[in-house]
Amino acid sequence: MTAVPKPPSSFAVTPHKLSICILVQVYAPPSQISIPFPFSSVSQHNCLGIFLISLTKECGGIFEPTLDELITQLKEIDGLLNHWLSDHLMGRLSSLASPDDLFNLFTDLRGILGGSDSNVMDDDQIMLDPNSIIGMFVRRCLLTFNQMSFEGICHLLTSIGAYCKDSFSGYQPYELPHLDESTSYSNVPSEYENMEMENFYEKSGEDFEERKMEIGRTPFYGHASKTFSEFSDDSGISPSHRLEHIDKNAEAKSCLLSSSDMSRDIGSVSGTFLHTNWQVQGYLSEQADVIEKYGSSFPLDAFESILKKLQQLAPELHRVHYLRYLNNLYHDDYPGALENLHRYFDYSAGTEGVECVPPPSGCSSFGRYEIALLCLGMMQFHLGHPKEALEVLTEAVRVSQQYSDDTCLAYTLAAISNLLSEVGISKTSGIIGSSYSPVAGMGTSLSVQQQLYVLLRRSLKRAESLKLKRLVASIHLEIAKYDITHVQRPLLSFGPKASMKLRTYPANIYKELWLSSRLINDFGDESSVLTADGAFCTKWLKSLKKPLDSLIFSQENESRRNSSSFQFSAQPSSIPGSVVQLLGSSYLVRASSWEMYGSAPLARINALTFATCFADSSSLSDAALAYSKLIQHLAVYKGYQDAFAALRIAEAKFACVSKSRIMLLKLQLLHECALHRGHLKLAQQFSDELGVLASSVTGVDMELKTETSLRHARTLLAANQYSQAAAVAHTLFCTCYKFNMQVKNATVLLLLAEIHKRSGNAVLGIPYALASLSYCQSFNLDLLKASATLVLAELWLSLGPNHAKKALALLHSCFPMLLGHGGLELRSRALIMEAKCYLADPDFSVSDNPEMVLEPLTQASEELQLLEYHELASEAFYLLAIVHDKLRRFDDREEAASSFRKHITAFENPEGMDDSLFTAVGAAETADLGPAWPTAGAAETADLGLAWPKTTEEHHGRPARPTASRECEHRRSAATLSHQISSPPGSNSDFLGPPQVTSSPTAKHAIHSGVNVHGSIYASADGIYESCNVVLAC
Amino acid sequence: MASKETCRTELRAAVRHLSERGLSSAAKWAAEQLMGIEQDPSKHTPSHTRFQRGSSSIRRRFRTATPAEASGTPSAGVSYVMTPSLVVAEEYDYDLMDSDFYLLAKSYFDCREYRRAAHVLRDQTSKKAMFLRFYALYLAGEKRREEEMIELEGPLGKSDSANRELLSLERELSTLRKNGTIDPFGLYVYGLVLKEKGSENLARSVFVESVNSYPWNWSAWSELQTLCTTIEALNSLNLNNHWMKDFFLASAYQELRMHNESLAKYEYLQGTFIFSNCIQAQIAKAQYNLREFEQVEVIFEELLRNDPYRIEDMDMYSNVLYAKECFSALSYLAHRVFLTDKYRPESCCIIGNYYSLKGQHEKSVMYFRRALKLNKNYLSAWTLMGHEYVEMKNTSAAVDAYRRAVDINPCDYRAWYGLGQAYEMMGMPYYALHYFKKSVFLQPNDSRLWIAMAQCYETEQLHMLEEAIKCYKQAANCNDREAIALHQLAKLHSELGRTEEAAFYYKKDLERMEAEEREGPNMVEALMFLAQHCKTHKKFNEAEVYCTRLLDYTGPEKETAKSLLRGIRYARDVEHFPP
Repeated sequence: MTAVPKPPSSFAVTPHKLSICILVQVYAPPSQISIPFPFSSVSQHNCLGIFLISLTKECGGIFEPTLDELITQLKEIDGLLNHWLSDHLMGRLSSLASPDDLFNLFTDLRGILGGSDSNVMDDDQIMLDPNSIIGMFVRRCLLTFNQMSFEGICHLLTSIGAYCKDSFSGYQPYELPHLDESTSYSNVPSEYENMEMENFYEKSGEDFEERKMEIGRTPFYGHASKTFSEFSDDSGISPSHRLEHIDKNAEAKSCLLSSSDMSRDIGSVSGTFLHTNWQVQGYLSEQADVIEKYGSSFPLDAFESILKKLQQLAPELHRVHYLRYLNNLYHDDYPGALENLHRYFDYSAGTEGVECVPPPSGCSSFGRYEIALLCLGMMQFHLGHPKEALEVLTEAVRVSQQYSDDTCLAYTLAAISNLLSEVGISKTSGIIGSSYSPVAGMGTSLSVQQQLYVLLRRSLKRAESLKLKRLVASIHLEIAKYDITHVQRPLLSFGPKASMKLRTYPANIYKELWLSSRLINDFGDESSVLTADGAFCTKWLKSLKKPLDSLIFSQENESRRNSSSFQFSAQPSSIPGSVVQLLGSSYLVRASSWEMYGSAPLARINALTFATCFADSSSLSDAALAYSKLIQHLAVYKGYQDAFAALRIAEAKFACVSKSRIMLLKLQLLHECALHRGHLKLAQQFSDELGVLASSVTGVDMELKTETSLRHARTLLAANQYSQAAAVAHTLFCTCYKFNMQVKNATVLLLLAEIHKRSGNAVLGIPYALASLSYCQSFNLDLLKASATLVLAELWLSLGPNHAKKALALLHSCFPMLLGHGGLELRSRALIMEAKCYLADPDFSVSDNPEMVLEPLTQASEELQLLEYHELASEAFYLLAIVHDKLRRFDDREEAASSFRKHITAFENPEGMDDSLFTAVGAAETADLGPAWPTAGAAETADLGLAWPKTTEEHHGRPARPTASRECEHRRSAATLSHQISSPPGSNSDFLGPPQVTSSPTAKHAIHSGVNVHGSIYASADGIYESCNVVLAC
Repeated sequence: MASKETCRTELRAAVRHLSERGLSSAAKWAAEQLMGIEQDPSKHTPSHTRFQRGSSSIRRRFRTATPAEASGTPSAGVSYVMTPSLVVAEEYDYDLMDSDFYLLAKSYFDCREYRRAAHVLRDQTSKKAMFLRFYALYLAGEKRREEEMIELEGPLGKSDSANRELLSLERELSTLRKNGTIDPFGLYVYGLVLKEKGSENLARSVFVESVNSYPWNWSAWSELQTLCTTIEALNSLNLNNHWMKDFFLASAYQELRMHNESLAKYEYLQGTFIFSNCIQAQIAKAQYNLREFEQVEVIFEELLRNDPYRIEDMDMYSNVLYAKECFSALSYLAHRVFLTDKYRPESCCIIGNYYSLKGQHEKSVMYFRRALKLNKNYLSAWTLMGHEYVEMKNTSAAVDAYRRAVDINPCDYRAWYGLGQAYEMMGMPYYALHYFKKSVFLQPNDSRLWIAMAQCYETEQLHMLEEAIKCYKQAANCNDREAIALHQLAKLHSELGRTEEAAFYYKKDLERMEAEEREGPNMVEALMFLAQHCKTHKKFNEAEVYCTRLLDYTGPEKETAKSLLRGIRYARDVEHFPP
């Protein structure tokens, strides 16, 4: 395979292994007593046994522990033996002075092994079973020693000297007094351990495919879960293992550092020995796991130096390059990642470290370079080069077809579909059309979305036929995601007459989600036992090291504590970590789907499920996403105070994740808050900052880009710059259309309607509102539909009091949705609207039914105060005051009036308000965003496009200053009010009364909620099941 | 430039100093240069001068510039410092009578018993003795290191065992340097130690210090040169203007792939060191890199005549012979070096080349591997082995071999190119582009690399014709010998429907073929296109010329040309006498 054949594998005897042998001698002396000499009880004896097994298997670091570390661990074990064991070990080691001593030691060692025909075991005699783990270990040591050349024995002797000396004299790397003696420079005793690996190969044969898929998937969840999955040979890392280092990165860092003891090793190579090969591999895959989990918060340099050292000690261990690639990738170091990726695949042909079964074709000389292409594509995409990524992945498809690597093909297809779904590509010809297209067979008339759909189906079929469970599950998840945001069209449409019915099908999504999680439930036996074992042993040894509060506990007690703690935290789980992650992300998909469809409680519940059950096992960015969803929920339903308080907690928790969701969320919240309070310049600044977070590449981060311009338009609207706002919204509409984001367009259309409403062109606004309404209807966006109806009602009302009834009817038709699922703002808008409708209705008399107006207004004003939406709150209080005035409740009127004044002044002088919220949150901001909020004076100079130009006055024929327009509006509504009040009160026979919040939903909604209930039943059932699994695993 | 006489005297002293201190390869170098200076005819036997004269006559054939010119130009405006002149040089013979200890130590040293030598000198305080002790200790450490490398070779590769004398040596030498009691030779050892320890900046300044005070130690210069991997680093060195600096610059330029500059320097040096084999070999190297194989061959023939047992640089000669497919010459060379010293990586490489030429790739790989066993950082063997594996269709092994070459020297454009080729062979053109880009970056004036990259873009899988055109343009701009680029440019343009551009390139290609008197299908194609193109653009006279030329060829083209001619005549009639 490689240019230089590797020498046959061997097992090198190192001082550490020698120490283990000495301990084994103590454990199983050739004596006749059931409990040999130093031990007083069977449990003590067993404890040493477990310790020895763990020592032979642990893979907590790449280097073997020093004598000091070993003795520290040993002291935990033999506390009651008064450190007899450690003294004995030290004594034996220091007595080794000549090669002959070593010969004798190994000769003695042979004596403790039982005969090969040890079926007839004498009960009294302790014999080491040659086939036990420890027995095997001893036999390998013996074999290696026997094969050793005299030079080797000399090297061993000198390294034992260094090993002991380090321990006795404390470690001082640069002041070794006798340089000539420390001949242990870089002994490289790591090797392939085929014996034990074979077993591993078998176990993980199928697993590999799954893992590869994870490679495939890794960067494709975009913001949602870039670090969602882990890569190869990690399957053995139990989720519970991760439980340990979840919530604090600091812990991860310290764990990483302590496990390798870099502080000790850097600078001097003396006395370092690598663990055996598979232990090193286990360590590396564990680290790969951690990198992918923590992303950029992983310490780059520290790990890099470990890797450098490892490479120095074992230049033929190419997996190191892969780790370097990962490390660079997650720190966004493009050249480094590229270089290391190429290097890894050049050296290993994609086969090292990834235990693969030889392809059925038998000819394996080709290597597995298609995986290189897959990884490269992934990398390009992760770093925001979608075009390059697509080129590379197309090539990967071709190469894996050529070499009939079906699994790789399946993963590549999944990767491409991920890419297409993540990146809004306006036209295919520039990208896919330029070269051979993976879906060229389908004809070129397909849009990207259709191609994506075809791809997804195709890869699903392939994955199913190859029985790649994880891939199947994640493709189902992908399809669900696709269905949420994409409109399905018939694949072949001819001409303009073809049916262009745009619809989404929520039921399909839940079917896919269910399929996805059901497949995950099939997992049980798919984990590599050995790595898990290694991790398990490491864990056990680690827990030994934990500082014990005191030594008051009896020995028995202590050992029980140990055993219970490791049973709890380190039992190898039957579910691979990646599967749990996949499962977790299905909950996130669920949450976002409910968000889309407008069921706030269900969205919240799903996010909560994720946060409680899966946050531990998933990547940080996934967890951040769940938290941000929850916080957003808080902001919308509970007001900003709570949300910001929660945000602060989340920020502290995810501080290490750069460019995270939390940052995004903060800006979103700040923008909304500023907008509500009338802090328009700040709002504009926030939305600009949000825009800066998006990548500058076309087609990348489309979600964020559209959101930014949406927010920009809203800010402009709030500043009454209607034409600019409309222009921005139009551009946004075009962008969305170009990138086939129809679902987003419903929102844009609604915004346009709103703009027209505010600018006083109600007639123009109505078509937009209606268009938005029909979009919402076909996309099942219930909440958005309700708010579109609200806007429509507002538009009707603004056409004059004659339309009040119609408006009211419209409003009432969507009341259940608005009040049941809407946030504070939406609810209060609806309530105010209701009151306004009544007031504007010529047939309605306030004095007859004061409660019908007062109740919604009071409720609205309360909620708006919570939200600090001054503009709307002042309106509510204004109306309240007028109604009270009419009803001659002067006290109430005065109260309302004073509240009105308070809000209107707050709105007019946003700068004068307390900025505590902004500054509190902004304090953290200053660090990463440079200067904090500009002061009022500075804001004036900063031209944010929000200065009130004189021209707008002419343009709109209205006063341009917002306060003035507000006043004008109030005056107008007052006019209508007075008109209505003065008119004779008519009968309100057609008025149905305000519907209860809990009133039965509309028929359509009922269907939906049926689905909801269904969905949630599945969801909760799954959740319970999954969480059971997780708990059981613990 | 110092006069020949000065150089001679300086070098003579230097050879003595260097060999007294056991710096044998530097001494060898100095002695070679000493012999390179044109001898004083009065002092030598006629046979020797005849030999010299004969050899120079061959060289003169290929001399581009006369020696006078060559030596005249670069020295203008440069004032050479004569600091370490004869008087100063004498200074290094400090004690004319060496102590007995030194004599014993030196003899141990010569017998390669380094530790013994160092032990004898343990209490000596003369500078020379101290240097020898340091150097002996350093060499002892190196020897042990190499042994350990074999002893400790693990399954995951050779471990990087270190020279264990470094720490103590560094301590002693740094104190000496601080006290100011270190001589240039001591600085040289100090530089070696620092370099091996990885403190390159300090090492660089120490070497500069060393060569500034004693410029004739070529080993110090070459160590310094390995530390200058960029032109910036080279320019930032603060070196005295001594004639040795020219040697240094020439070789540094060569390493930095500034072959023309290097060639100029060497030709200038040849003005003084007219018979230096070393300079000749270096000139050959530069020419080789400029792909002037004819000249390289002549130079090597001469070199071998003067110095028949030379092995250094002969692998390059074998490459030239390989490229020219000179079977017998290559086998002769292989035989000769094999008899001289079979355990030299160069010898193995030459034999490998021979087998490769014979098509026995397995054997060839075996010899390259042997070369690598002798020196695992032997760059060209890795690359050549990669080529062999490519021939054997073992692409992953080839990739591995090339990658090792690249990791040893990331500037080896051949290996990058090889990597690209291997991946292209595997049907991964896009992946291959990464490597071609690297190689083109390192060697932007090599049309072959550009063409390879263009072909990669042109593959049906990628079909990125615009990029391919750009690459071909680059190739056409840098001396594309096989004239592939022009033809391809014309073809691609016509494929993309840009007839004007296509016509332009066809015309250029045609001119070129005419100039080089080449015939072939390309010619027919060009003529055909041009004839049709001119006809459609109503340039009938021109079209007629092309058609008549086409008539010289047999085959279908002749018939097409005939019908074209008829069409032209008809069209012309219509033009002249409109109906």
